[in-house]
Amino acid sequence: MTRSTLRLLLASVVAALALVVAACGGSDSSGSSSSSSSGGGASSETGQPKTGGTLRQLGSSDVDYIDPGHTYFTTGYVLAYAIGRPLYGFKPDTADPVPDVAADKPQISDDLKTVTVKIKPGIKFGPPVNRAVTSKDIKYAFERFFSVNVGGQYATYFSSIQGAPKSPTKGVKSISGITTPDDQTIVFKLSRPEAVVVSAALVMPITMPVPEEYAKKFDAKNPSTYNTHVVATGAYMIKNDAQGNLTGYKPGKSIDLVRNPNWDKSTDFKPAYLDAISWTTNEADASISAQQVLTGSHMTLEGNPPAAQLKDAVLNRKGQWQQVPAGGFRYFPMNTTIKPLDNINVRKAIIAGFDRDAALKARGGKFTGDIPTHFLPPGIPGFEEAGGAAGPGYDFLKNPRGDMNLATQYMKKAGFPSGKYTGNANLLLVTANADPNKAQGEVAKAQIEKLGFKVTLRTVPQDAVYTEWCQVPKKQVAICGASGWFKDFTDPQSMLDPTFKGANIAKNGGNNNLAQLDDPKIDAAMDKAAGLQGDERNKAWAEIDKMITADAPAVPFDWDKSTNIWSKDVIGVANRYQTEMDFNFTGLK
Amino acid sequence: MGPYIIRRLLYMVVVLLFVTAITFLIFFVLPTADPAALRAGRSPTPETLAAIREQLGLDKPLPVQFWLYLKALVLHFDFGNSFVNNVDVRSLIFDRLPNTLFLIVGAAILWFIGGVTIGTISAVKRGTVLDRAAMGTALVAISAPVYWFGLVSLYLFASDIGRFPVFPGSGAYQDAHGFFAKIPTLILPWIVLAAAFAAVYARLTRSNLLEVMSEDYVRTARAKGLTERRVVVRHGLRAAITPVVTVLGLDLGILVGGAILTESVFGIPGIGRLSFDAIQRGDLVTVQGCTLFLAFAVVFMNLVVDILYAFLDPRVRY
Repeated sequence: MTRSTLRLLLASVVAALALVVAACGGSDSSGSSSSSSSGGGASSETGQPKTGGTLRQLGSSDVDYIDPGHTYFTTGYVLAYAIGRPLYGFKPDTADPVPDVAADKPQISDDLKTVTVKIKPGIKFGPPVNRAVTSKDIKYAFERFFSVNVGGQYATYFSSIQGAPKSPTKGVKSISGITTPDDQTIVFKLSRPEAVVVSAALVMPITMPVPEEYAKKFDAKNPSTYNTHVVATGAYMIKNDAQGNLTGYKPGKSIDLVRNPNWDKSTDFKPAYLDAISWTTNEADASISAQQVLTGSHMTLEGNPPAAQLKDAVLNRKGQWQQVPAGGFRYFPMNTTIKPLDNINVRKAIIAGFDRDAALKARGGKFTGDIPTHFLPPGIPGFEEAGGAAGPGYDFLKNPRGDMNLATQYMKKAGFPSGKYTGNANLLLVTANADPNKAQGEVAKAQIEKLGFKVTLRTVPQDAVYTEWCQVPKKQVAICGASGWFKDFTDPQSMLDPTFKGANIAKNGGNNNLAQLDDPKIDAAMDKAAGLQGDERNKAWAEIDKMITADAPAVPFDWDKSTNIWSKDVIGVANRYQTEMDFNFTGLK
Repeated sequence: MGPYIIRRLLYMVVVLLFVTAITFLIFFVLPTADPAALRAGRSPTPETLAAIREQLGLDKPLPVQFWLYLKALVLHFDFGNSFVNNVDVRSLIFDRLPNTLFLIVGAAILWFIGGVTIGTISAVKRGTVLDRAAMGTALVAISAPVYWFGLVSLYLFASDIGRFPVFPGSGAYQDAHGFFAKIPTLILPWIVLAAAFAAVYARLTRSNLLEVMSEDYVRTARAKGLTERRVVVRHGLRAAITPVVTVLGLDLGILVGGAILTESVFGIPGIGRLSFDAIQRGDLVTVQGCTLFLAFAVVFMNLVVDILYAFLDPRVRY
């Protein structure tokens, strides 16, 4: 073999190896998460920001999509809510939605099968559309969401709308259950009595108006190219040209936002102080960006700062940070169909002995989250009714560092006289192969083994943890080591129904009830609570939360918090819905 | 020379086909997770997954998928669209290529001139304090991880967060507009990227030159009465530098595929940063595109190096 041939082969092997490394890598994003990280705390400075100026946001990753019909991750939401207006939005200091494009609260029929929303007059699309928004624009936004070309990612919340496609459609199809009796009214007819949940979900980007006459030529393409032609309704817009091409969006590099000239302050509750936002999406090392933000001028950081800068901000930089609850929980679900985890006392023993503080430290410690005492997280209605931070008071969740004496007692109750497991079962624990999920998985293995269990730890790429393992019941995963569930909207049903309802167990994959908890009493209580509204609803779901916690289906170890930081000459405001900076309320001093 | 270049170009095509097949197999046969499931969002139905597979063309038999991929690649130089954000991978790569080239060409000039000069002086002054100091420094530079060195240089010299604010810091490259405006923003990245390479080149040049200087023809040159400088530069260095150029070719080829660490630390939107982001997001179509581009660059630079041999080393004939 010649020298040249050898080198050529070497080159090809190097290239192939590079791809193997890449293929074995994976995203650290939670597969079931739409929000990033939870609890709350703040040292944000109050005061009136000045009007005008340019804010620079430093981010290390791009948005997933700009298209409101397609985006489903935190960074995408930050952008979506700056340039688009949903039917219902959020003020920064409250978890309750307020009307945005909508004129008032949704009207829900007595049979819970019809939702009627009136929309405000005088809201206009930005350039190049420049016309008033009507209810038909929202109907079209829903219909295109179900098109495979657009790729809407949370159809499940709207599957009860009459005529909603069961699978993605080829092209945009009309949905019979959505009607627009006039330009200011949209009506959702449901095939099931799920009006409460559908109403709660009307805060999602799917409700942002999309002008059909402008978007249909983009939506006809596969995939839709509306993503790079999105037209604004919000206070800001991405710079574009006369044809609507988003010239201010450079994938993986930057997003330039300017004011939407057609935005009318009188129609909106958002102050929108800034003139422009220059958002870089490829910043270098997170510690460098965070340092630049804390010591620099007119900057905010996208995402949580690394531990050193987080500590610096919290301890030394009053007025430059804010923590908001991420509205989710991280947990180690225990498969209740696998022996000996089918024994409730074994599960209680594991939780009782588990040092959950160690698991939280593996994710960054107290600055990144609080140790839960139940499942419904802070920021979600029903949290206080479920016991708040103190929780319902179950003994096995009392000591965050673990109580081996109590664990031993539960093991004895489970039929193990020595207080330790003496059987032959080998428990499969699956986690991601990259930190922090790898580290927390290793903590879980050590904690469970304290009680004499044999645990096999399997680390897999993050993107495979859910789809190939934890969500596939036939894989017989005993404990999932990298799972979390975060809100899509602020409703307790959306937190507990998919994750702990027995009827939702999907045997063939895509299962979100990772513990496979199948308690008929809990299912019945959920069915009843689904139709309730207001305080009654919150109380009912809080009781369900207590029932689930009493069944000990998982070890909850983190109510995530999201920390936002900014420069000293910025008055930063974090949004409790998408948990990141809110450009509509943030301003300069 | 002509037939040789044609033969090598044919080799190049074969190797690239081989790499394309391997990368395709790794991506489509051995994926860690179903790309459709990753794209489908929360609680997708089997029908949703099927529709996405159809949209992405993942429902077709593997040979058909490979054929379509190859056809698009060969006929249109089309790497496909990212599964993550639908963006055309080719445009992503070519959009970033100038930035990567700007970074590596500047750094290569620094490290090549610096490394060869230091290596030559070290070889000529063998055993002296100067030689030991140069080789000791080279050892430190080789041992220092690029990422660490980059961070330290920013914390020391960046105009925004540095202790001694001298050079533009991370992210400055992207903010600067125009060729000349970008140059100052690349001083730190050039130094950081060049440091480890320069050290390797210095050691390589030194050892090659020491070997060459003991050759008979060098003794003959000295015997002819040539000045020592002429002996070293014309007779010694010319032969000693050939392996260094080989390494330079390979290094440049690999770096065209992306100086991942330097681009990441300094916020330079190059191909390395693109690969890094794609790996983090599990965007394997983009990773695949970057990998193929890397393979192409390495193979191409090999060809360039082999052709250069003929000019640098009079003993080489094709």
